[in-house]
This record gives sequence, C-alpha cells and structure tokens, in this order.
Amino acid sequence: MKSNSEAILKVSALTKSVQLDEKTLELLQPVHLTVNTGETLAIVGSSGSGKTTLLSILAGLDLPTSGEVYLKNHPLHQFNEEQRSQVRANHVGFIFQQFLLISSLTALENVMLPAELANLPDAKEQGLALLASVGLAERAEHYPSQLSGGEQQRVAIARAFITKPDVLFADEPTGNLDTKTGIHIADLLFQLNEKHGTTLVLVTHDPKLAKRCQRQVEMDSGVLHEARLDNVNVEELSADMKVG
Amino acid sequence: MSELIVKPSKAWFKQSLRLLHHEFRRGELTIIFLAIVLAVGTVFSLTGFSEQIKQAIISNSANTIAADRVLGSSREIPTEYLDKSESLSLKVATKILLDSMVFSGDNMLLSELDIISEAYPLRGEFLVKMSLDQKVATSVGAPKQGTAYVEESILSRLDVKIGGTIEVGVLPLTIAGVIVEIPDRSYRMFVAGPSIFLNIKDIEKTELIKPGSRVYHQYLFAGERDDIEEFETWIKPQLNESQNWYSVKSAQNRLSKVLDSSEKFLSLASMLGIVLAAVAVAVASRRYGQRHQPMVAVFKALGASKSHVKKLYMLHWGLLSLISIIVGLVVGYLLMLAGVSAIESYLSLDESQITFKPVITAVITGLLCSVAFAVHPITELISTKPLDVIRGFKQNVLPSFGWHQLIPLFALFALLMLFSRDLIMSSSLLLGGIVVSGVLLLLGRLIMGAGRSAGAKAGKAWHLALANLKRRANENSVQLVSFTIAIQLLLLITVMKSSIVDEWQAQFPENTPNHYLLNIANEEVAPLQDFVNELGIDNQGFYPIFRGRLSAINGEKTVSFDDDDDVDKSDNEKDESIKGSSTENEAKQDDKEKPKERKGAGRELSLTWQAQLPMANEIIEGKWWEESDVSPQVSMESGVAERLEIKLGDELTFTLGTDEFTVPVTSLREVNWKSRQLNFIMIFNEAAVKGIDTTSISAWMVPEENKNQVYRFLSQYPTVSIMDFGSLMKQLTKMIEQVSIAIELILVLVVLAGSLVLVAQVQASMEERERELAILRTLGAKGSLLRNSVLFEFIALGAVAGLMASIAMEIAVFFLQTQVFDMSASFHFSYWLIGIFAGAGFVGLMGMLSCWRLLKLSSVTLIRRTM
Ligand SMILES: Nc1ncnc2c1ncn2[C@@H]1O[C@H](COP(=O)(O)OP(=O)(O)O)[C@@H](O)[C@H]1O
Ligand SMILES: [Mg+2]
Repeated sequence: MKSNSEAILKVSALTKSVQLDEKTLELLQPVHLTVNTGETLAIVGSSGSGKTTLLSILAGLDLPTSGEVYLKNHPLHQFNEEQRSQVRANHVGFIFQQFLLISSLTALENVMLPAELANLPDAKEQGLALLASVGLAERAEHYPSQLSGGEQQRVAIARAFITKPDVLFADEPTGNLDTKTGIHIADLLFQLNEKHGTTLVLVTHDPKLAKRCQRQVEMDSGVLHEARLDNVNVEELSADMKVG
Repeated sequence: MSELIVKPSKAWFKQSLRLLHHEFRRGELTIIFLAIVLAVGTVFSLTGFSEQIKQAIISNSANTIAADRVLGSSREIPTEYLDKSESLSLKVATKILLDSMVFSGDNMLLSELDIISEAYPLRGEFLVKMSLDQKVATSVGAPKQGTAYVEESILSRLDVKIGGTIEVGVLPLTIAGVIVEIPDRSYRMFVAGPSIFLNIKDIEKTELIKPGSRVYHQYLFAGERDDIEEFETWIKPQLNESQNWYSVKSAQNRLSKVLDSSEKFLSLASMLGIVLAAVAVAVASRRYGQRHQPMVAVFKALGASKSHVKKLYMLHWGLLSLISIIVGLVVGYLLMLAGVSAIESYLSLDESQITFKPVITAVITGLLCSVAFAVHPITELISTKPLDVIRGFKQNVLPSFGWHQLIPLFALFALLMLFSRDLIMSSSLLLGGIVVSGVLLLLGRLIMGAGRSAGAKAGKAWHLALANLKRRANENSVQLVSFTIAIQLLLLITVMKSSIVDEWQAQFPENTPNHYLLNIANEEVAPLQDFVNELGIDNQGFYPIFRGRLSAINGEKTVSFDDDDDVDKSDNEKDESIKGSSTENEAKQDDKEKPKERKGAGRELSLTWQAQLPMANEIIEGKWWEESDVSPQVSMESGVAERLEIKLGDELTFTLGTDEFTVPVTSLREVNWKSRQLNFIMIFNEAAVKGIDTTSISAWMVPEENKNQVYRFLSQYPTVSIMDFGSLMKQLTKMIEQVSIAIELILVLVVLAGSLVLVAQVQASMEERERELAILRTLGAKGSLLRNSVLFEFIALGAVAGLMASIAMEIAVFFLQTQVFDMSASFHFSYWLIGIFAGAGFVGLMGMLSCWRLLKLSSVTLIRRTM
C-alpha cells in the first residue's frame, strides 16, 4: 500500500450519481484529490456544482458511487455506517452553515459532546477553555436559543476543536452570517486552526475567505480542478453568493 | 491502512440523563408526562377504589349470610323441610323481611323490618350498641320481646332516643340499642328505609302480616359440613322458582359480579379519556421525534454510533415513562384515598391494603401509552441519517401506511382487553369506536367545509381562520372528536338532571296518583273508601291482591322464564333448581307424550280480581265478564299474552304456595302502562278467586293541601303502608345524580385529555403557524387581524364540536326518552346553544393559552425567526 504519511485525505476516481426516476444524475465526475496533513484547502464553485456532495463523502457522511476515499488511511468507501461514525468520532470535526447546535443542551454541553462521544477525559475543562478562547466563557450555561447567530457559530467552532480532530470540515461556515460577523468567525476559525495545526477543508462562496486557505480547488458541475483565485472573476463569485 | 480503533463511548448514560433534565426543564416533555400521569392515575384510582370497596364488602365481612346456607322464599316453606333439617341436627334460624311504616309521635318512616328468631345469627356476629357512647359493640341475638334494635339514622328521622318508643304496626316497642353491624347485610339498590330488628315472637302482636301481605322469608341453616351437604342434595331438587337457595360463596359471587360489572363499566368509560391521553402521547412524540432529528443527525455526524443513540433515547424515554408512571401512581393513590374517605361513612374500610391488581393494571396502561404510541416516531428518530445535517430534515412528512400504524390499534385493543377481559366486547368497542369517530370526522369535515365557504364572506379574520381550520382538518380531527364527546357528556348530564325528569313528570295528567297504599286489610277497605270519597280524593278504587305464579299453560308446565325481569334472583343456584325440577317432570311423564316446555312469566305475579273493567284498560279481544258470572275466568294483558304465546281460550294454571287453580282466558286487554295507575297483567273474576286470602292496594291523588289530613287519618291504620310518589321521584333523582357523578368524572377526564391533545397539536403546528403569521405580516396584515385569525380558528373548532355534540346529545336523549322513560321525544334547542357556546368558549380559551407565545410575538421577531 502506497501509504504517504503526509497525505491525510486521499481521493481517487471518486464519482457520485443519484437515480432520479429513470434518469441517472451524475453529481461528481471522477474526482482525484489529495490533502496533506496540516494543509488548509478551500473548495469553491457556484451553487449546485457539487461542493457539499464532495465534502460529505470526504467526511464519511455519505458513500461514493465508485472510487476510493482514504481518511487517515481508513478506507471510508469500504466502511459501513457504524465504522464511519467511529472514524468521525476519532478524527473529524465539523462546522455547518446552520450551526446545528443541540437546542436542549447548554453551550458548554454542546462543546463537550464530541469529547464525550470519543471517550476523551477532561471534557468539561477542555470545553470551558475552548469557550473562553472563542470569547464565550460567560455564556457557558446559556442555551442556543439565547445566543445570536454569530455566538452560536462560535460555540460550534469550539465544539469542532475539542477532540483535536485531524481534519476539520467546514461547509459555508459564514454563509448564514452578516459580513462583519462572518469575518470575525473566519478569524477565529483560522486562529484556532493554526494553533492546533488542524487540516482544514473549507467549502465557501466567499473568495476572500477562500484566499485565506493555502490551496484552492474549484468545483464546476461535478468536475474538480485546481483554481488560481487571482484569475477567478471576483464579481462572478460574489454574484453566486446570493444564490447559495 | 491503519486499524480502526473501536472505542464505544459510555457517555450515553450521562447524556441521556442530561437530556432528560433539560427537556423537562424546558417543558418539552410536559405533555407526554401529563398524558401518562393522567392515564395511569385514572386507571389506578378507579381500579384501586373498586378493589377497596370489594375488599370491604366481600373479604372484610367473612360471612354475608349469617349462616352456611339460606333458603329465601316469598312463602313459608313446607314443614318437611324443617323436619329434615332437624333430623340432620342442623341449626335453623328464621328471618322475615317486611317493609312497613313505623311511627313515633307525629313522625313516621317507611323502614325495613327484620323479624328474627332467637337463634339468629347462626354465623358471624350481630353487633349492637346499647347506648350511643358505648365503645365496643355487644354481640347479640334477637332483641327481647317488646324491644327492637334500630339503625342509627332512625333515631334522628323519627326523633327518638335509645329507650324511647316506636310503634311498629299496632305494637309499641322500646328501642334497646343501635345496630353497628348486620352479619347478613344486603347491598340492595332500593331499600325501603333503615332497618329495624325485632323478635319473631312479637310479629303476631304487630298485626302487620295479613293474608296476602308482601313478606320475604329467609331460613338460615348451619351445621356440620357433611350434614349441610346432605341437606343441600336433598332439598335442591324440590325447590321451585320462588325459592332461592344460596351459600356464602354464591351470595358473594353474585355481589362481586355486580361490583365487577360496575367496575368494568367505569373503566371502559374511562377508556375514552385514556385513549385521548394516548393520542396526546402519540402527537407529542411525533413532534418530539421531528424536533430531535437535528440532534440525532449531529450526534451521528460527530461520530456517535447507532447503538449509542439508541441506548441514549431508550434510557431517556424509559426514564420519562418511569417517572410519569410513578407520579401517576402517586396521583392515583391520592385520588383513591379521597374517594375512599368520601364513602367511609357508608362502608367500613378499616384494613384496606393495596392489592397488586390496580398497580399492575395502571402500570400496563402507562407502558402501553408511553411505548406503543411512541415507538414509531422514536425508532424513526433513531434511524435519522447523519447526512441529514447537510441535506436538511424531513418536516411534517405524512406517515406512510405501514404495519407500524397498527401498533396503536393493537395497543388500544390490549387496553380494552385489560379492562373488560372480554374478547367480543373489546372487539365491538374498538370497531364501534372506529365507526363513531369516522362518522364524527365525516360530519366535522362537512361542517368545516361549509364554514370555509361561509367564512369567505364573513370578514378577513374569519376567512383566514376557517381556511386554516379546514386545511388543518387532519390534525384537528382528534380534538374535534374529543371535544365533541366531552361536550356531549356535559349536555347529557345537564339535560338529564334538569329536563328529563321534569318532562317525564309533566306528561302525566293532573289527576295522576301520587300516593300508593299497600297492605290494606279487607276490613279496612270500607273506612278508607269512605274517607277518600268524603274528601273527594281521586282514586281508582281498591284492588285486592295476592301473589302467585303462572305454572302451566294448557297443562304444559312453564319452565323457562324471562330472567331480565328480576336480575337479582337469576343466579346459578336457581338455575340448578329449575333444571332439577324439569328432569323430575320428565321422569314422571315418561310413559305419556314428551312434555312440552312453555315460556312462563318466571317470577311471582301480583294478581287481582275485579268486577268492573278498570280505567286505562281496553278489551281488544274476547269479552269482559258479567258480575253474575259464576264460571272462573281471567283477563290478560295483551302484550304479555303475545310474548308468552297465550291465546283467548287457553287454560292457565296458577300456583299459590301449594294451592293450584286453573282458569280460561276469556279476554285480552290493552293497558296504558304510562298512566301510572295500578295495572295488572292478570285480572280474575270473583268466581276464580273464591277462598283466596287477599290484602288490598290503592292509588290516590292527594292534593298538597290535604296531605297532612290524609297522613293523620292513615296513622289510625298503622299496618297500612304509604308510598309517596314524590319520594320515589327523589330516589330516581338521586340515582340520576349518582350516575351523573360517574359521567362527570369521565367528563373531567375527557376534557383534560382532550386539552392535552389540543396543546400537543398546537405545539406541533407552532412553526407552521409562525411562518404563516410572518408571511401575513410582511404582506401588511394588521396585528389585530393576525390575533383574531389565530383565535377564531379555535373558536370555530369548538363551535363545530359543540354543534356535533348537540346533535349527538339529541340522539342519546331521544333513546333515553323513548326507550328508558317510555315517553314521547322532545327537542332541546336551548341546550344546543349551551353546547356551541361552551365549545367555542373553552376551545377558544385553550387555543389562546397555548398560542399565547405566538400572539405576543412582535412582527419583527416573527419575521426574523422565519426568514
Ligand atoms: N440526493 C440527491 N438527489 C438528487 N439530487 C441531488 C441529491 N443530492 C444533491 N443533489 C443535487 O446535486 C447538485 C449538487 O448539490 P450540492 O453538492 O449541494 O451543491 P453545492 O454544495 O455546490 O451547492 C445539486 O443540483 C443538488 O440539487
Ligand atoms: Mg452546498
């Protein structure tokens, strides 16, 4: 097996298609991608181009139709639901566009949750420390409904880092926030990412956000290719933003 | 490729407890909790309560017949019975039961006389206090001659004290003590009045028992087991239909059968409420499942295994059920205690213990509600896909048809079986329930549809409200059915209490008798007749009566009988005795033709003779006799004749104790039973009844202003009993009141459970409602319009329920009036208004309370929340 200690995420000839009535819809054309440990990668592309589809396969939330996905050398494409959930518990962190905090748990409990699922010690101390680092130490006992959108996403960021994941997946993390809050959130995200040396796979519309990653790839109707952002028409991208 | 490290997380336990804690605090589990508490509490208190009563009546009183065996009979029994018992050296005691007026000074009271021999009681203890402050009651036998033991209520009702005198018949008796416990107390529905025990040697002196008097004899036997059994095998084949042989066990069996069936009735009626509570659980758990989908998806996305999620929710739901069931048991226990203390004055419930039955029944009910009605949403929830965190959640998807939809039906059936233990009854109730709900739903749809079109013209708020009502018809259907039932019960109670009895009384003509006189001796007839004639009191004359049994028709013995006439006597013992006698007949008539069995009247009938055809009677076949006719004849009521297949000219044989006589039917009469006159199935002519002893009865219409005069006059004839129809009506009203209490309990239950369903439903539709309001708001709707459209939807729902309930009430009252009260049906439109307004008011209020949050939201929050 050609195991590369540098590559944390390896994708080869990955396709995804769905059956719609009689027609087969090809969501992803054969995708090849390698992400190295510690790397930050942005996936850009217009709405409906297949970014989220790819991300959910990379993170082991969904299975490809064909092709291979290795995360930390685990062959996700061969794993069943239970095995993939174990991989996620041990290696993966998430940040979602809709924050997806659990409404019946407090901010602190939300942050502690992944640590508990992965059987990590000191969940509470870690959680409090992380909440402090996103500036929400005072709000530990508050419920999500008592927090603003930006605050909720900060809790979600704290939650994503508590297990010290190998890879962090973020799908449009600023998509539901106003520009100013979005920038603040992005600052926090990159700050923590740098501190923990986490590999980051970020899906975004926002070229400014994408530029903060070391590498950018572009998705276009299910086809993935390297993107050089300075050549991308910024106006075109920001026009897409309103659709997402 | 590295090995996958599997480290199953043990955090589920902690997370489950945490979740339960938070969800409870945030009130998300309140509906489910309350619904289970309601169901468990109801079942526990009802079954527990009736268990307690059963224990008190059956188990606590070890002996309920004061003997080993009792022979009850409306006549004295042949002396050879007593000779036989003597030859077996059995102990024998006699008790004669008789209803009579008892006097003290100017007061009088109808009471039950228990006339007992010295040997009474043969088993158990007859406890009496000789003074009111005596601490421990004395165990006694029959009172000394010239004295009586009385129930305590007699003291106040006749205004006498212990040592004072009461007059029983013409005999003054000194009250020697107050009865504490009667070893063979009967639990009869209608008792003439409180009991007075006197010595059998005094009975002659009271002059109460005259030929033809209505008395009941009880012969009590006790002895060695073998002797008793030998006596039993000897006597049983000789018993006839007017004789009733029973043991402690058969007496208890009969009693517990009565208690069981009333318990069954109550718990089946409470099923209404329990089903609604279960529906509330179902609605709330569906919303619960939907609300928790993101949580499960996030859990799984963050790496929780399916078994982790499963354990978490199973513990969560299990604890929720456990807590609710325990609280339900506590609430039920308190309710039961309240019930017990309310009846403590009637029954001594000293060593009441909780038996397992109510606990188990209640726990099973709770589990069925919490599991069967929630299992589908919860399993759906557990299998939420982690991918849903990205792809979004299914909201309000209508459940597809599948086997899981049958689970609640099975659970309902299981509940019905649990309460009724009767397969046919459970199946028919389930089917009946489905049909009734279906009809109500259909009707509701029609009305809501009609309202929708009418609403289009009734202003914007109404228009919106009715459109919403119709669109949410599916979700609203359960509430509609439950509030319909609740309002119908309410209306039924009101109508029954306030109208039916009045209407029933009002339909009788002015001169309808209001007093019945019984036990009039033949020599008393003339002075009484003079008295009423002088006073001008309406009466239909005096009817001599005697009791007898129709024993043969055209020489064919009557054996089977309509037992629905007299439930009390149709117990196993009696069936056996009848079977015994019929086999004997067959043996006797073996060489003749096969004996044919004829349907008979079964019980003893009140028989009379008359020279003239009484009022309210009309000959429809044959001819009424001439006064001078010397051939014996009988005239029969046509309805009963038809039932027993008796035709003009048939020869009827009557048995009076040991005497027999046979007469031909010479006319058939139609009788107006509604007239409240004295009516008889059989009327003989004088020739037929020569030599038969009779007493007379009469019915008088006593105007209010003459009442005292009449009572004073009648006190000269102490052996004559007067029954005031007014007090009979009071008994009826009291009975209706008792039935009403039971219905009111069910009503409260249905209202509570129905409200839970409503709140659960509103919560489930909250997001949708918010979205609608936000859209309306952005389109520029005024705040008052929004508020009214929310409110009117509930008001309309309640009004529809009220309307349907009124229709249902009218149907139920129609049956009550025509079938039970035998009167012409009438409409009660004023109650329709009550129904509609009560429904609109209550449901409107409930809706307003549960939508309070929604109504208070400012438009900014509304829009921000939903955009
Ligand atoms: N399960 C599915 N069935 C049908 N179409 C799907 C399914 N999942 C995704 N799609 C379609 O695939 C395309 C890519 O979706 P997505 O990956 O969400 O795009 P992006 O995240 O780039 O906006 C979209 O047109 C979407 O509608
Ligand atoms: Mg997307």
